[in-house]
Amino acid sequence: MTGVRVPEHTRLVLDNGATLILIPRRDVPLVACHAVMRGGALTDPQGLPGVASLVAGLLEKGAGARDAYEFADAVEGVGGAFGAGAGAETLTIRAQFLSRDQSLMLELLADALRSPRLAPEEFEHLRERQIELIKAAKDSEPAELIDAYGRALLFGSHPYGRPVFGSEASLATIDPAHARNSYHDHFGADRLILVLAGDLDLTGIETAARAAFGDWSRAPGRLRPLERPAAAGRRILLVDSPGATQTHFWIGSIGVDKRYRRHAALDLVNTLFGGRFTSILNAELRIKSGLSYGARSGFVRGSVPGEFAIRTFVQADKTGLGVGMVLSALTLLTREGVSADMLDSARAYTLGQYALGLETATDWAAALAEIELYGLGTGYIDEYAAELAAVDPAAARDVIAEAFPRAESASIVAIGDAANVRGQLEEFGPVIEMPLTDPHFLPRVTGDEATTRGG
Amino acid sequence: MRRRALVDRPPAARAPALAGRESVRATTLANGLRVIVWPVHHIPNVALNLWVRAGSRNEAPGITGLAHFFEHMMFNGTVRRHPGEFDRLMEAQGGANNAFTSDDVTVYQDWFPSHALELVLDLESDRVANLAFAPELIESERGVVTSERRLRVEDNNHGLLAEQVQAAAFLAHPYRFPTIGWPEDIQSWRIEDLQAFYRTYYAPNNLTLTLAGDFDPERALALVRRYFEPIAAQSPPAPIETREPEQIAERRVLIRRKVQTPLLQCAYKAPAAADSRAAAMELLMSVLVEGDASRLHRSLVEDQRLAIEVGGHWQEGFDPGLLWLSLTLPEEAAPEEVLGALDRELTDLAREGVTETELARARNLAVVGFWKKLATIDGKAHLLGEYEVFHEGWARLFEAPARLAEVSRAQLRAVAAEILDRRRRTVGMLIQEESGSASA
Repeated sequence: MTGVRVPEHTRLVLDNGATLILIPRRDVPLVACHAVMRGGALTDPQGLPGVASLVAGLLEKGAGARDAYEFADAVEGVGGAFGAGAGAETLTIRAQFLSRDQSLMLELLADALRSPRLAPEEFEHLRERQIELIKAAKDSEPAELIDAYGRALLFGSHPYGRPVFGSEASLATIDPAHARNSYHDHFGADRLILVLAGDLDLTGIETAARAAFGDWSRAPGRLRPLERPAAAGRRILLVDSPGATQTHFWIGSIGVDKRYRRHAALDLVNTLFGGRFTSILNAELRIKSGLSYGARSGFVRGSVPGEFAIRTFVQADKTGLGVGMVLSALTLLTREGVSADMLDSARAYTLGQYALGLETATDWAAALAEIELYGLGTGYIDEYAAELAAVDPAAARDVIAEAFPRAESASIVAIGDAANVRGQLEEFGPVIEMPLTDPHFLPRVTGDEATTRGG
Repeated sequence: MRRRALVDRPPAARAPALAGRESVRATTLANGLRVIVWPVHHIPNVALNLWVRAGSRNEAPGITGLAHFFEHMMFNGTVRRHPGEFDRLMEAQGGANNAFTSDDVTVYQDWFPSHALELVLDLESDRVANLAFAPELIESERGVVTSERRLRVEDNNHGLLAEQVQAAAFLAHPYRFPTIGWPEDIQSWRIEDLQAFYRTYYAPNNLTLTLAGDFDPERALALVRRYFEPIAAQSPPAPIETREPEQIAERRVLIRRKVQTPLLQCAYKAPAAADSRAAAMELLMSVLVEGDASRLHRSLVEDQRLAIEVGGHWQEGFDPGLLWLSLTLPEEAAPEEVLGALDRELTDLAREGVTETELARARNLAVVGFWKKLATIDGKAHLLGEYEVFHEGWARLFEAPARLAEVSRAQLRAVAAEILDRRRRTVGMLIQEESGSASA
């Protein structure tokens, strides 16, 4: 139906626990790597968000026989790309090279994972630069930070509440020993899912991968399973950006996890609510009213429930109007559900777009890494079309009850000119406030990413 | 501070055989519509691009932003279909769409399952032939565009500075207009302005249609003929003949705002897309700003720590445009000092040229970038359009790796020396407003 099935691939688990997946594909002379280390920001010490993110940055700043410059020269000299980043519960390296350079790609990957130099001067530069980049985002792209504010508000002291990239405050106190300890405790073969895809020399690359990772020991640190986050009811945070002509706002709640059994129905309902151009949200805020350039919603699903969030922006004077429209749309969704006709359209759309997200070797490498990480099984992709076909209005109603918030319990973050916006937000509940220049993502008085939520 | 590390010279990328050219079909309909199709079958989908040779270059004072506004209006109904039908029908058949406007072109893009090909061609031809201009929708869409302008310009320091720099860089040429339009113009253009623009530029003889994906080329071409051939050709648009006078001295823009991180932008006069130096220009940009091993990143971000980010692009269009360098500076930075350091790097490049290692790196990055685009139907549809419109025909696309391989160090140095000329640049700085002052 979708024409999308998981391609032929090889999956191996080495004796030390490392998982290796190989996906051959010969359309273009490129190879891709998607290496996932379990842990990521989950391993950040209490009160120090940003450590895993700095470790990720350091992996390509000198490893094995190469210093930082030699490493970048080796990657880019052959036209390659190599980048590492932390997520809420993973640290991921993505790389892409010409197929003739696949041995080099593997060598650089093994060096970065197994023998990074973690040089103090590189650490210091990364840390300082990360602080400046947060300031730069506050100057020009505050919407890039709204998720960090939203998660801090929603998840409190739960690890999902931490800003993965750190805050200006936490970054200021992280030192090179934190990075070294984090690396030594949380890197090891049992944390690794390595997917190689593209125009591979299958035999050669498997041998090379076994040689590169077969004798790697397990990570000494313990990775505790996450607790399910608990909902705390509506809270409203206003981040003051004096003089801003528009307000970015985020309305969110705790959603569902990656293994949520009704994920096909979830995709369809979100497509209808805020996942495509003609969605309910975009119709209200853009198409009918011209209030905003766009409004979207989506779920972040991890090993435990992440957030459901709606993001949009409106002219400062229209903040209350915009928030009210979004909440009304949520109320209507929870009260009326969606019709069979709407589901048919969403189904056609979701199916029609599905293959476009699984087109390249890079796409497949990421998809199979995710399936492995969360233990989803290849049926997650192979059975998707059949699952979509089975969704009816009753299943959609169940999903709305289980995964979408009631309007009155959704939390709100707004980044805008407080003098103008404060009164408009107060009609939705008590408002807590902080300046955009505050180095945290939640006011200290009510707790922050570093301390437990008050009460 | 460390200097650029010189490693063993990596081998230049051997261009693999460029499969695909033989399967591309191109034709021109009787009404002048150019059609190029590339069947590939790895996913059951199709990507469509409709390139319109109209951008902010085709505007005039009072109607700036019209080309971009048009991009929005093309989704708002035809005489055959109500507002919203375009998206509703396309999404119900599994398709998604978008569009973008530049100084030179407006491009409409659709991505859809193969079975929706006929519907999509019907929808696209309908809005080219029969667009409606409902007054209430024009007003609502002004609000959407104003919101987009606040997002990209008024509340975005990079956008705000770039708009001012571009306006200062050109005296005569319409490249001085911001593509999104000046705020007063967005509020004041009339239905007649829209109708005239539509008649002139949305004529089949001013369009290029490209398709890449899972279809039979004969059937696809037959469907294109069925839906587009009835649309009448129009007199070709009047050519844009304005030539920007030679820039004789550096120009400066200084904006003071409440910011933590200052910005520095330099825009140098640069050649048009079809210029014979295009491949050298592409490699020059790569040497300067692509990747952590690029000259400016290594020198200004890593070695001297004067900037936290360095970027740049060559604005390649029908007429000579700009080469942009953009730097985000750390708090407390002195932009003049950073400009001095940037100038030392650029002078060095213009005088000494690039190393073989740098040239090989730039070529290899370009070749990988080329293959990455060719790995998707979206990339294929886009490249066909881009080469057809800007680079003397779609077939030139398949020569891209060979052209990159031919660029010599001497050519690169010559281009650097000619383009990176301080007299022919506009410098923009956005800095912290002085305490106590209300505005600049």
